[in-house]
Amino acid sequence: MEDGLSTPVGTRRSFFVKTTVFISSLIGISLAVPLIGYVIAPAFQRRPKEWVSLGKTDELPIEEPKALDYSLTEKDGWQERHATKGVWAVKQADGHVTVYSPICPHLGCGFRWDQQDRLFKCPCHGSIFNIDGTVKAGPAPRPLDTLPSKIENGNLLIQYEEFKSGLAKKVEL
Amino acid sequence: MASRFYQWIDRRLRLKPLEQTLLNEPIPGGASWNYVFGSATLFLFGLQALTGMFLMVYYVPATDHAYSTVQYIQHEVWGGWFVRGLHHWGASAVMMAIGLHMLQVFFDGAYKRPRELMWIVGVILLAMMLAFGFTGYLLPWDQNAYWATQVGINMVGSVPLIGDFLVKVLRGGETLGALTLSRFFAFHVAFLPAAIVFGIMLHLFILRRVGPAGPHDEARANAGSETFYPRQVFMDALVMLGVFGIVSILAISVEFPLADRANPSDHTFIPVPEWYFLFFYELLKYAPGALGPLATWLLPTLFFTGLLLLPFVDRNPERHPSSRRVVLAGGLSFLIVVFGLLGISLRDLYAVPKRDPSVARGIALVQEFKCQTCHRIHGEGANLAPDLSFVADRRPDRNWHIQHFKNPAAVNPGSFMPKFPLNDQQLNDLTSYMLTLKSG
Repeated sequence: MEDGLSTPVGTRRSFFVKTTVFISSLIGISLAVPLIGYVIAPAFQRRPKEWVSLGKTDELPIEEPKALDYSLTEKDGWQERHATKGVWAVKQADGHVTVYSPICPHLGCGFRWDQQDRLFKCPCHGSIFNIDGTVKAGPAPRPLDTLPSKIENGNLLIQYEEFKSGLAKKVEL
Repeated sequence: MASRFYQWIDRRLRLKPLEQTLLNEPIPGGASWNYVFGSATLFLFGLQALTGMFLMVYYVPATDHAYSTVQYIQHEVWGGWFVRGLHHWGASAVMMAIGLHMLQVFFDGAYKRPRELMWIVGVILLAMMLAFGFTGYLLPWDQNAYWATQVGINMVGSVPLIGDFLVKVLRGGETLGALTLSRFFAFHVAFLPAAIVFGIMLHLFILRRVGPAGPHDEARANAGSETFYPRQVFMDALVMLGVFGIVSILAISVEFPLADRANPSDHTFIPVPEWYFLFFYELLKYAPGALGPLATWLLPTLFFTGLLLLPFVDRNPERHPSSRRVVLAGGLSFLIVVFGLLGISLRDLYAVPKRDPSVARGIALVQEFKCQTCHRIHGEGANLAPDLSFVADRRPDRNWHIQHFKNPAAVNPGSFMPKFPLNDQQLNDLTSYMLTLKSG
């Protein structure tokens, strides 16, 4: 064969092979990193927490749980959705207010307040909680989940959060 | 490690003969930088397919979501702007790669017997790529997408006899809307990809059956040959890296912003087609009156017929350029016309005054004050008060509008239009917009 017109052999061949493999890997990695990040990033994005007002605290009865509803705009990807959420608020005699997430820490059902027994009861699996949130009976692994709350100018403000169910410790979702 | 794994697979699947067929195809005259354009096109097509699939993760092909989902990809998803940028610039790059690939084949006379079929399939692939460009352009559902597609579809309408029928089929209805978007989407992501993959396979199958053409210079062609692997593969890979680098740099550094959300009632928007359609867009300006419709369908038909028939018209078996002066001169004149028109078009585009910002603010005010609760403008809005689509035909006087906005009943007794709290600038902006609403 004449020079340059035969298939390369030896070290010359292995140079072409190795460089080709290197180039393919370079293109592959440069594409894989942004593309994988692009697909999984929204799954790890935390929603921004906002303080929402639930109204005046002086309207709350003392030592008497009250279901408070409020509406908010939730971002769901590119869509904005109006949602109504309810929480349980218990005002103590000293004016302090405890706010419970409406979701049972056992497996995520909605519990109710039984006025007669003065207990929170979950209808799904029979967990029962005292008014201070502690577990009285049933399979619930931890007390009712409290939500971050504060009082400003007589207004009750909360941050809505959700927690993993079924764990002994409160872990935010 | 890799080779032990390969041996394990090979003992079961007997890959060696396949490897032999795929990689050891002899190239007459040896590997060359002249042959990289086909591989570059294939690489860019793969990049389009990949980034397109990823765009589909978030994109929704419905008129009430398409624009928001593209915005979401562009501004909120991590890396979304990069993926969209790659797809956008990749579309331009694939057109360039096809252009260069065809030029090389043309210049080397590689379309001649026995490679006529490979050329014909290639021309069909070109048409499919243009269809990809056309259908993909509508998907972001912004003003540019909407109005450029409107123009494109109207051009199809100039085809004699079946034009109206074709337009209806393309739109999926009387007007460009939800049904158009969903069928363009289906074509862009399902029908066309399926068809083009088949076309590409056929193109490559023919290449392997007839073999690469090699250099047009007989002395070089007869000097020997080398296999496709490893040197041609290496050259192809290097070019792919270069192409990928350029497309990435463009995606990173040149933002491709969305226009406003598609607004079918806003006739003031001037759409601009993609650059690879621009020369044709420019050409249409020089086709007056009765010639217009002919130019919109006859020229593209002639162009593609000419390409398809090229190997049968040019039957001179000689491949060396020096013996093909007439054909090459024809090709060169075509290129001069195309690039001349592209140049003129680009120059004019940058000279087009952008929309008066006052008009844009006026349009925003119409939205803000919900004028279309009572007025209709180009088919949108209620019919309680006069239709404003062509209000400037009836009321061309700027001052009349300003006085009328200040106090409708004073200028137009009996009018139940409320006095809106408008400051001087808002009065001017609204009036500027009103004066653009005319038929001529």
